[in-house]
Amino acid sequence: MTMSAPVQRPSLIAPLFALLALMVLVFLAAVFLGVADLPATDVAAVMAGHGSDQAKSIILDIRLPRIVTGILAGIHFAVAGLLLQTITRNPLADPSIMGISQGATLAVTIFLLFAVYIYDPGSNTLAVLPVAWLPAIGTVGGIMAGGIIYLLAFRLDLGPLRITLCGIAIGAVLHAAAIGLIAGWGSARIEILLEWLSGSLYARSWNHVLFLLPFTVAGLAVLPILRRSIDLLRFDPPVARSFGLSYRKQLSVVLLLSCALAASAVGAVGPIIFVGLVVPHLARFLAGKRFALVLPFTVALGAFIVTLGDLLGRLLGQTEEIPIGVITAVFGVPVLIALLRKIP
Amino acid sequence: MPLSCSQLSVLYGSRKALNSFNIDLKAGEVRALIGPNGSGKSTALQALSGLIVPREGRVEINGKPAKLMSRRTIAKQMAFLPQQPSAPDEMTVEQLVRQGRYPHVGLFRSYNSHDELAIEWALESTGLTALADRSLLELSGGERQRAWISAALAQEAQILLLDEPTSFLDIGFQVEVLNLVHRLSRERGVTIIMAIHDINQAISVSDRISLLEKGQLLFDGEPNALAESGLIEKVFRVKGNFVRITPESRPHFDIELARMPGARI
Repeated sequence: MTMSAPVQRPSLIAPLFALLALMVLVFLAAVFLGVADLPATDVAAVMAGHGSDQAKSIILDIRLPRIVTGILAGIHFAVAGLLLQTITRNPLADPSIMGISQGATLAVTIFLLFAVYIYDPGSNTLAVLPVAWLPAIGTVGGIMAGGIIYLLAFRLDLGPLRITLCGIAIGAVLHAAAIGLIAGWGSARIEILLEWLSGSLYARSWNHVLFLLPFTVAGLAVLPILRRSIDLLRFDPPVARSFGLSYRKQLSVVLLLSCALAASAVGAVGPIIFVGLVVPHLARFLAGKRFALVLPFTVALGAFIVTLGDLLGRLLGQTEEIPIGVITAVFGVPVLIALLRKIP
Repeated sequence: MPLSCSQLSVLYGSRKALNSFNIDLKAGEVRALIGPNGSGKSTALQALSGLIVPREGRVEINGKPAKLMSRRTIAKQMAFLPQQPSAPDEMTVEQLVRQGRYPHVGLFRSYNSHDELAIEWALESTGLTALADRSLLELSGGERQRAWISAALAQEAQILLLDEPTSFLDIGFQVEVLNLVHRLSRERGVTIIMAIHDINQAISVSDRISLLEKGQLLFDGEPNALAESGLIEKVFRVKGNFVRITPESRPHFDIELARMPGARI
């Protein structure tokens, strides 16, 4: 019965490098290609530190911040999705199923409603409305929704199923409230809101990058520390606890982290659906039995898919670009269905 | 005293699943917990492992109240294998067994050679070395059960709580598990308490037996004394005799299949 055959460990390095190479490729494509038809030599010149002012402005002020914002938001959505799927032990969990997106939406809606009275818009409403505030407002709203879900689930004795049900219920209420508000008013606010709601990287600046970066850095810094808890949280609570896990504490930390990541990303770029749902499945599928790869794959694929999706949206739509949220939804559904067929 | 509890009561709603339950385990002993379905065996084990909070009473692990210990401290001293546990499907045997090292490595420390040895030993003791890289989904029910026992072994705890470890195993693996239990207690001094349905297996493997009925402890003593008490027939509502197959062997409960009046069908 006892055979001690040396266990063959598949290499972890090669697939990571392959993914990294793909990311660099897409990143370069995203920098070089765009609606403004810049010759590749101009782009290369800007990258090397010189080039014309116009090219510099297009690359450094428009394309790069937009790409970096997308990368960060992609990482946020993907990691938040992985964490939420882990703690709810529900393969369909993502920021929108957990009420976080809806919380952000409602907060932004309410903010736009009242901002009009505070700012007294002139003829050009769009320019005057304080869109710079949207990321922060959305983040606060998302985290508050997460907090409510947490408190409700905690009172009902924190468990995977309870968190999911509370998330869905709270999400439905918040969504209904936001829709109710929107139905009550017209004008330019709807345009801003709709653009934000569809999940878009349009006109994202370095300010958005600076807004997201602290969350990304903090999140990625604690992930390695949490990796063993994350593994154990996938078991039944009694099993995890008898393996020595302080279940409530670790679950709370992971839920808080996923809320912060998801809410900040929703605030900055709107609810980009399907990234949080599909990327963790894709990462698990690619990692197979190489468990340790799921987390790095999730981070890399999150960044990769949002960058690719935004590039597609820019190129396909040309001047009327297609929002990234639409792209991820359109391409996410077939990917998800294909993956579901592979899942036993 | 590695593990003891006094006056332990557990309520499910208004039903007392466990009523003033006392137990004292000596170091290195094998204790069998027997009783009809719903008599509180699992509840007793869960309360002993600190997974459910008792309404009354206290549990002590190595003389210290379990209530004041962190889950990790408890898990270093005590491993608990619940009934029919479930794991993420794509997890491999080795990954499951590795989780047993969590109380030792915690969140920060990396696995050292001792951890790897413990994992190897746990796999070998359950005959799973060759299956280490299989995913749990590909295993038979018996192999999966052994993988869970292996994970509990990897904890290297000196106290082991097993909730029906032989269920779903064929007779060969049942004996293998019971032999493993015996070896752990005699060779490594591990204190073991397990819920088990087969009365003859309980008698043959354990040093002492605790008999539960409706949450009450009816008997606590050596297998010979249990055989003489006549409680088995009464509690399980069956007819049978304790016989000795050889003069040195432990009593064997020989059951009559005709049921007593009022027996459950």
